[in-house]
Amino acid sequence: MKVFPDDLFYNREHAWVRVEGELATIGITDYAQEKLGEILAIELPEVDSYVERDEPFGTIESAKGVFELISPVSGAIVSVNEDILDDIGIVNSDPHDTGWMITLEMSDSEELDDLLDSREYHDFVLKEAESD
Amino acid sequence: MIWRFISFKRLNAFENMAIDEAIFRENQRADSPPTLRFYSWSPPSVSLGYFQATSKEVNIEACRRYSVDIVRRPTGGKAVLHENDLTYAVITSECNQLFPTDILGTYKVISGCIAGGLSELGIEAEMEGDGRSCQDDSLKAACFSSPSRYELLVKKKKICGSAQLRSKGVFLQHGSILVDFDPLKTCALLLPQGSDQTLQVRKLRGSVTSIHEQVGASVSVENICHVIKKSFEKKLNIELVEGCLTAYEESLKLRLMNDKYMNDKWNMEGKVASDGRKNSD
Repeated sequence: MKVFPDDLFYNREHAWVRVEGELATIGITDYAQEKLGEILAIELPEVDSYVERDEPFGTIESAKGVFELISPVSGAIVSVNEDILDDIGIVNSDPHDTGWMITLEMSDSEELDDLLDSREYHDFVLKEAESD
Repeated sequence: MIWRFISFKRLNAFENMAIDEAIFRENQRADSPPTLRFYSWSPPSVSLGYFQATSKEVNIEACRRYSVDIVRRPTGGKAVLHENDLTYAVITSECNQLFPTDILGTYKVISGCIAGGLSELGIEAEMEGDGRSCQDDSLKAACFSSPSRYELLVKKKKICGSAQLRSKGVFLQHGSILVDFDPLKTCALLLPQGSDQTLQVRKLRGSVTSIHEQVGASVSVENICHVIKKSFEKKLNIELVEGCLTAYEESLKLRLMNDKYMNDKWNMEGKVASDGRKNSD
């Protein structure tokens, strides 16, 4: 089973969050990228646009289909990872680090309380994998 | 388990896509029943995958000449000409135990249901096991040029192509089952101008088939719907009960039609101003 970093929070839609002050950097987990297979295209929001928790912040296409990326927290986008727009393969090869997608300024840091820690997310994907 | 069945209708491309997305969004919002829907396209239309570049994948001028509408799907995949096909849509939550959350597993289950229906017509369709990529660059845009895993082939020729959208534990899978196939028109509409169409037509003839070709006679769309519906019921052990869109779905359908699927910005550029997920320039 994959290792999910302890310093990240996770939602049940397989997105992770790294928190630094009021800033939240978001990407998808290693489990998600493996499930999706080779990622072919990605669409991300523009800087200054606003993203709601549990709503899509982008869209991704793999050979298997189109998937909406669901934000774990709400906030205004302050940066988008241009590197993955140039080389989408980074999301497959390094999803928890250089494959990050967006950074936003959180509007309500209490939303983090509803997210899973690495242990809880590990148990969640274990259960999901068992049901397949 | 009871599913909602929305019986066959011929509708335009914009309404068809708006209905599929409205049902999908309603499933995300509320605990609505799984849905199976059959439809075809009038006037004939080309549908594009979510990320496809319209001007590169479709001969827009030829579509105008033939009065063929162009619409961008909410799902992935490649361009499809919908003229003599039957389209199905399955929309359901991942929680109903009938489908694995594994994406390919879903394709496998639904392909099995369609294959069961085709078998009643005397067509033995098999699931593509490994997927094969199209080596011909000029044909790559056309959906039927290359089967993906668990899509349906008859004697190694593709007869059904499908695409999926997933979000928040709900999936929409829709797919085109070829009732008849016109490689000449497919090439004229889906290939860039100036490509060697004679060669491509020959290649498509060798890689694509249809119900009519396999049966050797005309089969009514109603009959095809009937056998596939029965196969879904039998293989999934479900009861399909005729239904219609809810009031919420109807109103969302109208909004999606006007704001998104009839909007040139969406269909040509993949952008709509009113939808937070797609930003205008």
